Amino acid sequence: MKGLHLLLIGCLAALLVAAACTTTQQATADVGILYTKGTGPMPTLLATKQIDGYIAWQPFVEVAPVAGIGKVITYSGDLPPDDRWKNHPCCVLTARTDFMAGNPAFVDALGAATILGTQYLNAHESEAADITADWLAGRGNFTYGNITVSSVDILERSFPTVKFVNDPDEQWMAGQLEFVYALRELGTINGKLKNTTDDQTRALLFDTGPYNRAAAMVSAKDIAAPAVMTTPVSVGYLLSDHHASLFVAVKKWQYFNDTYGIALKPEDPAAARPDVVDLLVKGQKVATLKLIPADAGPQLMQLAATNAIQMAYVGNPPAISAIDQGTPLKILMALNDEGSGVVVVTSSPATDWPSFVQWARERSAAGKPITMAAPGKGSIQDVMLRYALEESGLSVKEVQA
Amino acid sequence: MRRPLGIILPILILIFWEIAAQLINNQFILPRLETVIPVLLDPTVNILGTGSLLQNAALSLERVGAGFLVALAIAVPLGVGMGWSQRLDAFVDTTVQLFRPIPPLAWGPLAIAWFSVGINSMVFIIFLGAFFPILLNTIDGVRGIKRTWVEVAQTLGASEGQVLVKVVLPGAAPTIWTGLRVGFGIAWMCVIAAEWLPGTTTGLGYLTLYAYNYGQMHYTIAAMITIGIIGIAFDLLFRSVEDRWFAWRGLER
Repeated sequence: MKGLHLLLIGCLAALLVAAACTTTQQATADVGILYTKGTGPMPTLLATKQIDGYIAWQPFVEVAPVAGIGKVITYSGDLPPDDRWKNHPCCVLTARTDFMAGNPAFVDALGAATILGTQYLNAHESEAADITADWLAGRGNFTYGNITVSSVDILERSFPTVKFVNDPDEQWMAGQLEFVYALRELGTINGKLKNTTDDQTRALLFDTGPYNRAAAMVSAKDIAAPAVMTTPVSVGYLLSDHHASLFVAVKKWQYFNDTYGIALKPEDPAAARPDVVDLLVKGQKVATLKLIPADAGPQLMQLAATNAIQMAYVGNPPAISAIDQGTPLKILMALNDEGSGVVVVTSSPATDWPSFVQWARERSAAGKPITMAAPGKGSIQDVMLRYALEESGLSVKEVQA
Repeated sequence: MRRPLGIILPILILIFWEIAAQLINNQFILPRLETVIPVLLDPTVNILGTGSLLQNAALSLERVGAGFLVALAIAVPLGVGMGWSQRLDAFVDTTVQLFRPIPPLAWGPLAIAWFSVGINSMVFIIFLGAFFPILLNTIDGVRGIKRTWVEVAQTLGASEGQVLVKVVLPGAAPTIWTGLRVGFGIAWMCVIAAEWLPGTTTGLGYLTLYAYNYGQMHYTIAAMITIGIIGIAFDLLFRSVEDRWFAWRGLER
């Protein structure tokens, strides 16, 4: 028995020594990419010089310049190659197919509420920024050292860089296919979508029926009432202004109720971030929705896979990956195009993409390649940054901690 | 003399904190005291839309309370059974030992799949944190009962049920109470992890993480301090009960 203990201790000690001797893997590539599982750690990593920059979704792009820790060198629509990412698709509305089959009218109604939210926020940008600041931060202030900034100001900076659209048109679908190709190259697609033709991919990914019906109901100003549902529907979303159409639909419920006869009425009207809302059609409550926020898309897709949520507002790569992995899910419509950005540390000489590439080259030549953070492998931001870097002749390597 | 001496180090830490914060001048690394203290002094102000510090603390306590009570309801009877019956112990103990080293947070993904997002999955994780200390202490408490007490009761004609209720439970109570105290402490730590699960938008644990998203470390630290204060308060509560009711432990002969 004692021998066994000694052996165990010996093994542990050997492991520790081995671990200590293994030096941190040095990236031989020009640029290292560090995955931070969402945007949460990015400002801190940048402020403590553990990364040289990051690519994130809004409003976390604006946090860096406002906090004085970084500067924005480009927004995602302007990343190279030229025009490739102009109007690139970003977040989407998704639903489980079994849920859609059982509750088609509910799905159409939520689609209609989303379209109305989008229309409203495009017409009332600063009010929508204010609503979003309330949802994300209770209209609170952010304090960075001696600087105090209102969350409303941050959202007002970020809103013009996001394009809110819903139509799943031809160009948008082509953009989605680009992401499928990119995810195949990255090796993150290895299931149902691994070898599909474009037509097969489209058939697996999309169901635009709900959008078409919802858009028709909105333009007719006549929303069809779903049958009353007794069990609540769980709907996931991300705490990002990309999903502002949902926030607007909830916070302006009275307006939509009066004007269109559809509303997502919060059960607690005082809550900054309501988590239970009632779907009202023509003044009648037809369903209860539980709004489930998450930090990143893959989390939401896990929840969808286990039917813990039935619908989700989510980024397109997590949705594509989930469908690839066999989750019974369809992409119904767009939520926004663009809306991400690249940030570098304040001390960087880079001011735009070309000077950023120059800086990365110099650092690489000096043996100290820069490290950029991205929310996750295969995320929209990761895909775009990799493409842009490779297009500019820079090699990329995943940084291992 | 102990108390005044004990207070010196925390004060030194605060002074060192403020000096360091001023020197570093980077609130992502260490925010200054004067940004944290107002948050603590004004616990009814809404923080980043998550509710006030007090509301968040109350919600966290509610979750811990629920998980803790479930753990208590299962672990105490099971522990008494395992301490009393060698066969039950032999039957269950291996399983307990297999599951005990798994950190409660590791159950997060399964908790969400099984109990869905929200209070139930959080309660499950808190339950796991509290369950094992309560169970093991209960078993210990029952096993530690003096044979003579049991024999005396039996000689006087007590049935097995009477022995359990009149001798074993009261005799084991001080150790069980220690288990509850430790269990609650661990449960309180677990709520923080539980609130990091997706779907939560409230609670002190959620606040630490959400404030971090925007680099608002003074909120993170204020929430941490609140977690610490509540933890101490409950530990003192458990201890005062221990001193009052179970002071006889160690005195019996």
